[in-house]
Amino acid sequence: MKTMKRESLLVLGVLLLAAPLVAQGKPLTVTGVRGVTFGAVLPGVPRVVLRTDPANSGQFDIRGPKGGPVMLSFVLPLNMTGPSGALMPISFGASDAGFSSTQSIGSQVGFDPRQPTTVIFPNNGNVSVFVGATARPATNQRAGPYTGTITLTVTYL
Amino acid sequence: MRSIAIVAALAIAGTALQAQTNNASITATASVQTPINVLGAQALGFGNVFPGVNKTVAATDLTNGGRFDVTGQASSPVTLSFTLPATLSSGANTMPIVNYTGVHALLNTQAGGIAFTPSAGATPTLSGTGALFVWVGAQVQPATNQAAGVYSGSITMTVVY
Repeated sequence: MKTMKRESLLVLGVLLLAAPLVAQGKPLTVTGVRGVTFGAVLPGVPRVVLRTDPANSGQFDIRGPKGGPVMLSFVLPLNMTGPSGALMPISFGASDAGFSSTQSIGSQVGFDPRQPTTVIFPNNGNVSVFVGATARPATNQRAGPYTGTITLTVTYL
Repeated sequence: MRSIAIVAALAIAGTALQAQTNNASITATASVQTPINVLGAQALGFGNVFPGVNKTVAATDLTNGGRFDVTGQASSPVTLSFTLPATLSSGANTMPIVNYTGVHALLNTQAGGIAFTPSAGATPTLSGTGALFVWVGAQVQPATNQAAGVYSGSITMTVVY
């Protein structure tokens, strides 16, 4: 009887442990909402887009587990690719990414997109991540449109 | 029975953990505009000068004034700066060149041209077709004992957006 009680508690304990994870386990979704837009860039003139720029900064929206630590990690391009494979450097600074637990661009906590970063999700499980960057066209940069890809991976820890 | 319960619990926990990574991508985009090109189109020519007689070529002189032709992104502001020699040289002999003047215009006829001082630079805007023309004038001051010969010097104009 004593053994049976211990086993029941063990099972109950495991179930209790599992229960919060299931509750937190609503699908983790990451959505690319807006790209980083440099617009018209002149050769030899760097163009900075701040993460707080509501029109030109990049934005990801994340829906996932309520509360708890989440790791954000980026795959960042070194260059944007243009006409006939021409490359234009793009760089990211130590505060070029911002995490907003209210999904407001005006309320961000900056972080370094070059390093994996752990943040705490709010209780509603909805957050946004904003991204800025700097395009660095050479003085003889070939004219035309350039694009690069920024990928955000979100891992619930 | 005990085994079934534990396995079930672990199975539930495991399912929840497997779905905890996701990613998405956005693009970074830019449109690079036309690079600036500067052409030294016409030399500043003083022609024959005589010892002790100053000679001036005005920037408005379409025949003898020095001219640079600039092309770039339409309607974009640019900054002009100059490296101006203080003397012209003929071997070891030198002759002062002073009082530089400048005019920039959107047409090579100099219509609507704007005067400026080259040593101070200027900030004109390229035309709707991305063109700009810049003329330079100056004065040479040969000494009364100026050695005869052909004198020359280099005027450099730098244009940046």
